[in-house]
Amino acid sequence: MASITVKFYSLWRQYLGVDSVPLQADNLDEALAEVEERFGPHLREQLRADGVQVDGKIQDYSLILLNGTSLRNLKQTSLKEGDILQIFPPAMGG
Amino acid sequence: MGSKDIIQYIAESAEIYVAPDGKKYPVISLKAVTSITQTKGGLAREVEITALKQGITPWRYLRNTGTIGLDGQIKLLQSTVAVVGAGGLGGTIIELLARQGIGHIIIIDNDRFAEQNLNRQLMSTEKNLGDYKATVAAKRVKDINSAVTATTFLEKLTKENAHRLLKDAKVVADGLDNLPSRFAVEEACRDLRIPFVHGTIAGFSGQLTTIFPEDAGLSCIYGSSDSLPEQGIEVKLGNPSATPAMIAAWQVQEIVKIITGIGKPLRNHLLMLDAMEGIADNIELSRY
Repeated sequence: MASITVKFYSLWRQYLGVDSVPLQADNLDEALAEVEERFGPHLREQLRADGVQVDGKIQDYSLILLNGTSLRNLKQTSLKEGDILQIFPPAMGG
Repeated sequence: MGSKDIIQYIAESAEIYVAPDGKKYPVISLKAVTSITQTKGGLAREVEITALKQGITPWRYLRNTGTIGLDGQIKLLQSTVAVVGAGGLGGTIIELLARQGIGHIIIIDNDRFAEQNLNRQLMSTEKNLGDYKATVAAKRVKDINSAVTATTFLEKLTKENAHRLLKDAKVVADGLDNLPSRFAVEEACRDLRIPFVHGTIAGFSGQLTTIFPEDAGLSCIYGSSDSLPEQGIEVKLGNPSATPAMIAAWQVQEIVKIITGIGKPLRNHLLMLDAMEGIADNIELSRY
């Protein structure tokens, strides 16, 4: 089991009141499940309070990077000691 | 008429500015540059470049040259920057590029100003609602700096036209509001070997990164263009007045650094500015 760090940025950090949390997980699925369990309901509640309805789990409506690259690019799902999961909202306005 | 004549005119028009510390700077006024341009023909930009090469600073750039030097100002005046989107980010980027003295600005936008733009889109006014954003922006450029020229394309940038619209640019700036267009710009910039300064905003936050052709880019942040909705949380949170200016200003600093070679562009790093909490984060991006 690897010790990793989960970091929240921008609005997600503000809503959750959490900057960074340590987490133990064998693989990405496990890590994401833990993140969802610990933070998903609260985040969605905060978003709803601001009139933003999102569906699914945190990974469905967030940008998530593992050590600086999107999870959407990754083929392997294993984690190693010291990995960092970076989670933040998709901001695409201009 | 050779350039020697222009040099002579410039020398005769030069003044001396004495700074508070007593240091003296040869300068030339806008009025003199305009007069020389009218007398000798050609572009005001060429007169300014010639003056700078003689060590004479146009007054209007006097506060620029402390950071980038006369050589830096010459490089900017000799450069073309394309701004894709002339809305919140793009409008402010264009305004600042004109004031900074970028020689030529390509403005790409097929949209027209609407009332909901007034809170944040610098170029929009009550009087120009309904007008093309790019046309208004080009006029603004001319009003700010007669040495800067602008080309407008009243087109939506797509994969199909991206090369044609961007090919003359030295740097491309992101003033877009959707992900597929940003991926189209990035792809074209990689093909054309042009640096791309990406920026986005939502609510009180925004983020930016500079992408050189060989760098980690949008896919590191977003995956692919079709793996996410076209727009993000800004659709709900909106974009308040100051947020575009916050990110656009930094994008312009990136452009100036790239062109002048001064400083360190934000390559392979995503800078996230959270004005609500007063926090700046810098995430290192890595290719997969």
